[in-house]
Amino acid sequence: MAKAAQPPPKRKSAGFSRTVKRDAQGQIIPEKKEKSLGAFRPLPAATLANPAFESDGRTVMKLPAFAPKPHLVGVATEFPTLENDPARIYGLPKKMLLEFRILSKPCSVVRNVTVKTAELLDKAKDKSSLETRVVLSGRAGCGKSFLMLQLVEHCILNDWIVIYIPRAVKLVDSTTPYEYDLRTRTYLQPAFAFQTLRRLLAANHAKLSALTTQKKHVFEKREVPLGTNLTDLIGVAMKEPPLAPLILDTVMAELSTQTKSPVLFAVDDFQALYCQSAYRDPHFVPIRPYHLAVPRLIMEYASGKKAFAKGAFVGAITASDTIYKLPLELKDALGLPHEHLPSPYDERSRPLTEYTTGLKPIHVPEQLSVNEAASLFEIWKEDKALTASMYDEVFLSKYTESSGNARDFVWKGLLATLES
Amino acid sequence: MVHILGVNLRDTHVARFALTKFYGIGHHTAHRLCARLHIHDKCKMKDLSPYQVTALASFLSSPSTSTTPPRYPLAEPDYTPPPSNKSMQDLQNEFNALKAAREAKKLKRAKYAGVAPKATPDPLKDLKIESELRRIIRDNIAHQRMIGSYVGKRHAMHLPVRGQNTQSNAKTAKKLNRVDRYA
Repeated sequence: MAKAAQPPPKRKSAGFSRTVKRDAQGQIIPEKKEKSLGAFRPLPAATLANPAFESDGRTVMKLPAFAPKPHLVGVATEFPTLENDPARIYGLPKKMLLEFRILSKPCSVVRNVTVKTAELLDKAKDKSSLETRVVLSGRAGCGKSFLMLQLVEHCILNDWIVIYIPRAVKLVDSTTPYEYDLRTRTYLQPAFAFQTLRRLLAANHAKLSALTTQKKHVFEKREVPLGTNLTDLIGVAMKEPPLAPLILDTVMAELSTQTKSPVLFAVDDFQALYCQSAYRDPHFVPIRPYHLAVPRLIMEYASGKKAFAKGAFVGAITASDTIYKLPLELKDALGLPHEHLPSPYDERSRPLTEYTTGLKPIHVPEQLSVNEAASLFEIWKEDKALTASMYDEVFLSKYTESSGNARDFVWKGLLATLES
Repeated sequence: MVHILGVNLRDTHVARFALTKFYGIGHHTAHRLCARLHIHDKCKMKDLSPYQVTALASFLSSPSTSTTPPRYPLAEPDYTPPPSNKSMQDLQNEFNALKAAREAKKLKRAKYAGVAPKATPDPLKDLKIESELRRIIRDNIAHQRMIGSYVGKRHAMHLPVRGQNTQSNAKTAKKLNRVDRYA
C-alpha cells in the first residue's frame, strides 16, 4: 500500500509573524534592535596610512587663513582651528553642517559683501548696537548663513564677545520645554537658556572672566554680590538649571552695560521669530513669539528696546523654510519685494511691527562672481569630489545651470553630476 | 515605561502620540492635553517631569472634576517685569486678588442684567475615556434597541447600521456589531 501522502508544508501566513518572548511576569521582552551606525564623517587624511588609500597623491588641502580683506576677495580660505571655535561650540545651520561634513575641513570663499559687512562691524566696535542692527537677506542659497559664520569668526578673532544662535527656528517650533513665569509674564524656555549660557561661557571664557557684575543681583533663594565674575554668575546657572532663564537675562543686562569688549549677537533663521510659533498655552491658543522669553530677548535687541553699549546685532533670514516663511512685517521693515501685490487689508501685527523698527537690510548678491565660483570649484576639486577630466567644461556648465546660486552650484551641480 | 491608569506608555514614545493609546483620546485631544500640561510637541515620555505625570494621571482619572487653568496675563511689548527679588508668593497673591476682583465684577454685572454669568467652555472637561466611554456607547446601543429603532435592530442582527452593502463585505459589522458591545 502506498504511503500516505505527506501533508503539505505549513504555509507561512502572509501577515507579520514573529514569536513574542515574555518574561516570568508575562511582560513582553523587547527585542534588541541593532544600533544605527550614526552619521558618517570623513576620516582625516592622516589616519589613512594603508598604501591602498594612496590614490592621486592624497594631500591635505592648504588654504590661506580666513580674513575679510580686499586682497582675498574671490579666494577660498579656511576657518582657523580655535579652542573656542564658534562653529563647534554653538553649532551650525543644518545645511552648512552637512556641507562641512563632506568637506575635509571647513572653508569658505571671501566675497565683496563679506569685506563690506566686516568693515561695518569694525566701525560698530566702538558704537552702541542701536546703530548697527542689520539683517542679511537674499534668495535661497545665495550665502547668507555662510556670510553670518564668516562675520562670527571675524569677530571671535578680533576679541569680540559673540553670542551666536544658528537655528532660531528651534525656539518657536515646540521642540524645547516651556513653562509660564508670572514675574516676566512670558513663557520661559529653561533648557534652551541653559544651553545658550553653557555655549556662551565656552566660546567667550577668557573675555567673560575679565568682566564683573556692576550691581548686586538677588534671585528668590540666591544672592549674587556686586563684583562677581560673569563666569561665576553663569556657573550658578550650570549648578541650578531652573535658574538659567533668569541668569541669561541678567548676563545679557550686564553685557549691555559693559564697555570692555564689543558684543556681537548673531541669529540665523531670524524670520522664524516673527512667524506664528507652534507652542500652545493651556487654553490651546497659539503663543505669540514675543510671549516666549528667549525670542522676546532677541527681538528686543533687534528692535533697539535693549542695546549693547558697544556691539552689533546681525540677523540672517532663511528663505528656504516653507513653514516659517518671511512674514509681512519683516518684508515691510526691510523693504523686501512681496510675492503678491500687497493689499491694505493684509493684517499686520502691531507688536511684531514694533519689534522690527530700525532693522536695516544687507542684500547678499544672488549670484557668485565667476572668480568666486571658480574658487569654490577648486575646493571641491582638491577634495576629490569630482572625477572629471575636462574641468573647465564641468565648471562652466554647472555655473550656468545653477545661474551662479552658491547652494545650487555645489549641491545640484558639482555633487549631483554624473559626468566623469 | 510610564504607567498611567493601567496603560503602559513606552519611554521612547513621543508624549503627544503616546496619549492616543487611551481609548477615547485622538490626536486633537492629545494635543490639547499636552498644551494643558505644558508638554512640548517633541517631548518623550521619559522627559516628562514627575509633576506632569501626576497631573496627567489625575486629569485622566476624572476629567470632569478637573479645574480649568486660570488665564495668566501676557506681557505687552512695553512691559517691565518687577525686580527678581520679589517672591513668587507675592506675585501669585496679587494675581489672585486681581482675578477675584474681576470675577466679582462679572457676577455683579450678570446679577444686574438678570442672567447667569457666562462660563468659558472647556472642551477637556467633557472628555470621556476608557471604561466610561465604552459604557456610554453600550448604553446608547441598548437605548436604540429598547425603543425598537432600525439602528437597534441592525445591532441585534449583527449587520451594518449605516446603510452599507450587505451583499458583499459587511465582515466587520458581522464580527463587532452587538447590542452588548464592549460588555
